[in-house]
Amino acid sequence: MRKKTKNSFNQATAPILFLLPNMIIFSVFIIIPAFQGLRMAAYEWGILSTPHYIGWSNFLEMLKDTVFWKTFANTLIYSLFSVPLLVIVALLFAYFLQDNSMKGVRVYRSLFYIPSLLSMITVGIAWRFLLGDDMGIVNYLIRFMGSQGVHWLTESGTAMLSIILITVWAGAGYFMVIMIAGFQAIPQDLYEAARIDGASPRETFWKITIPMLRGTILVTLVLATISSFKAYELIIVTTGGGPGYATKFIVQQVYQAAFMEDRMGYASMMSIVLMILISVITLFQFAITGKKQDYE
Amino acid sequence: MKRIALLIVILVSVLMPTFSAPTTLTVLWFNDANESEVFQNTMADYVAKNPSVKLDVQVVAFSAYEQKLKLMIAGGNPPDVARVTNNQISALIDALLPLDGKIQGLDEMKKNYLPASLAFALDGKGKLVAFPTEATANGMLVNKTAFKNAGIDVDTISKTWTWADWETLIAKVIAANLKMKYGLAVDFTPHRFSTLMFQQGGHFLNATQTGMDFENPGTIASLRFFKSLHDKGLIPKSVWMGSENPAELFQAGLVACHIGGSWNINTYKQNVKDFEWGAVRMPKGAINSSVPGGKFIATFKGGKNEAEALRLITAFADKEHTSAYVRDTFNLSSRTDTVVNYPSNSKDFAIFLEELKVTPSFTADEWKNVELNKVSTFIREQIVQVLMGNLTPEQAAKAVQEKGSTYFK
Repeated sequence: MRKKTKNSFNQATAPILFLLPNMIIFSVFIIIPAFQGLRMAAYEWGILSTPHYIGWSNFLEMLKDTVFWKTFANTLIYSLFSVPLLVIVALLFAYFLQDNSMKGVRVYRSLFYIPSLLSMITVGIAWRFLLGDDMGIVNYLIRFMGSQGVHWLTESGTAMLSIILITVWAGAGYFMVIMIAGFQAIPQDLYEAARIDGASPRETFWKITIPMLRGTILVTLVLATISSFKAYELIIVTTGGGPGYATKFIVQQVYQAAFMEDRMGYASMMSIVLMILISVITLFQFAITGKKQDYE
Repeated sequence: MKRIALLIVILVSVLMPTFSAPTTLTVLWFNDANESEVFQNTMADYVAKNPSVKLDVQVVAFSAYEQKLKLMIAGGNPPDVARVTNNQISALIDALLPLDGKIQGLDEMKKNYLPASLAFALDGKGKLVAFPTEATANGMLVNKTAFKNAGIDVDTISKTWTWADWETLIAKVIAANLKMKYGLAVDFTPHRFSTLMFQQGGHFLNATQTGMDFENPGTIASLRFFKSLHDKGLIPKSVWMGSENPAELFQAGLVACHIGGSWNINTYKQNVKDFEWGAVRMPKGAINSSVPGGKFIATFKGGKNEAEALRLITAFADKEHTSAYVRDTFNLSSRTDTVVNYPSNSKDFAIFLEELKVTPSFTADEWKNVELNKVSTFIREQIVQVLMGNLTPEQAAKAVQEKGSTYFK
């Protein structure tokens, strides 16, 4: 029988002790509220009133709620277009700005990174001033040049497009920094070997860079997806979810149910669906992107 | 040694009350313009006379205000005192501290308020849950310079005009002013839309306010009328289908008229320097009507400093403080016994008061209804669906009727 020593005790307990503070915070602020949300979804409950158990009623109502499914579809469309675009733009920025010895590289990196330092409220207000129908600077310039203004935020299609482009503008710099770290972690030997073997820049990019960046791309995909499903401030400030329901996402609908209609239980039900949706998509991303790397 | 220790204990116990910390009252406030600053200035004399009371005024953006207040109450930590709107009173009614039996002479005080202001401040049992601080009304503010440029004396013609007259005249105003693009901006809220709805003979609820009655001819007519004004280009789409601020459009000289709250008088007084503006009577539909509203000051059940909070709100609600507050914030007084000497714009306030006088009393009863307030965002969404052409006025009215009825179970 193996004798338990002081050293082995430390090896077994030290990691647990180090992890404990994080686990406590994670449990108190994430796990317990998530289960509490699950429980609340079975209740009819206004924030200042007594909860009443109603079983599956909120779930059944949600299935028939056309506005919820519209916001569900909008959230998917927004995520489907904004996330790949964010990752591609960040990848391009990082590709051209990865070399520390390039002249002016720090200035360019800073310029692209600055928007991600701004709060989404600030970003939304700034873009609303730019894209407003009547007071917007962009339309002012368009009209000054003799053309008709564009309904950037007041027509369904252009409003969604505007929101996606603003999201990319605001977030690409942040993901660029992660990508640059990924680029710089790729061993230079691989590129030298490829050059000796006569590989073209395109072949090098697709057969060395991209496979070596797979882990970094997965991280950015997961972070961007989760962030896209939680987009709230930017939408509220820029379009308010409109016109109509054109840019209204699940999160806005949850907020409306909870704080405007005073239906915390129904809002919890929608939040649970959102959580499941994010989890499924994240697992799917891990499944397709997180395969064993094949560059060896 | 024991004697010294005993002496210290006696000294400490004697001097403790002298050095005890003053009571700090947390006051939650939001601003339409500069109300938090005026509140503090108005109550400066009270604070000076009561050195044991300090005010911690926390100003929160209006968009986040109700949520913050609800979370504070639900968390068992309500502010001692808060500014609330008539809509928020109905949403928070169970958490507000009834004042009857807590304040001496309250029955006499109640007689001094405008009936609409008092109606908003009473709970279901007829108890006062907040002091009305200012009355508000929806009304029309116009760019008088633009009307003059079109050769129209808007002050005279607005005394008897109808919406049909307004449409004819506003076309001339837009034609006469190169920069002007639209005739009217209406704030993006169901409350402001309801001005047009009441004028067209519509309503939200049945006569006893016990159920939705949105599918009525007047309401459907108002939806059709509102859409027609958008389709004709007389109202900018960027307000109800975008997120542009109608007050900014008015201040920029892009719209001739703005239907908004009486607090805009203060905003425009400070910001509009390029043209002459003022309040006029709104055009008549089936009837003349405004929408009453108001702001209030209240304290909460379970507050930590109930006695001091009650003293503060009672002092703020007296005749002198109310007069000073409404004068300096450019608002209508909710009290009938005050004579407010506004430094300017008295004529504009008089016109808003005239609008209130002809407003049917059921409009206040509807807007103090708790269930109606819960469905108001959905109503706004359905109005936008009509404006976008996705729903007919009849379909939108039916959708609101169905959704609203679920709250009146």
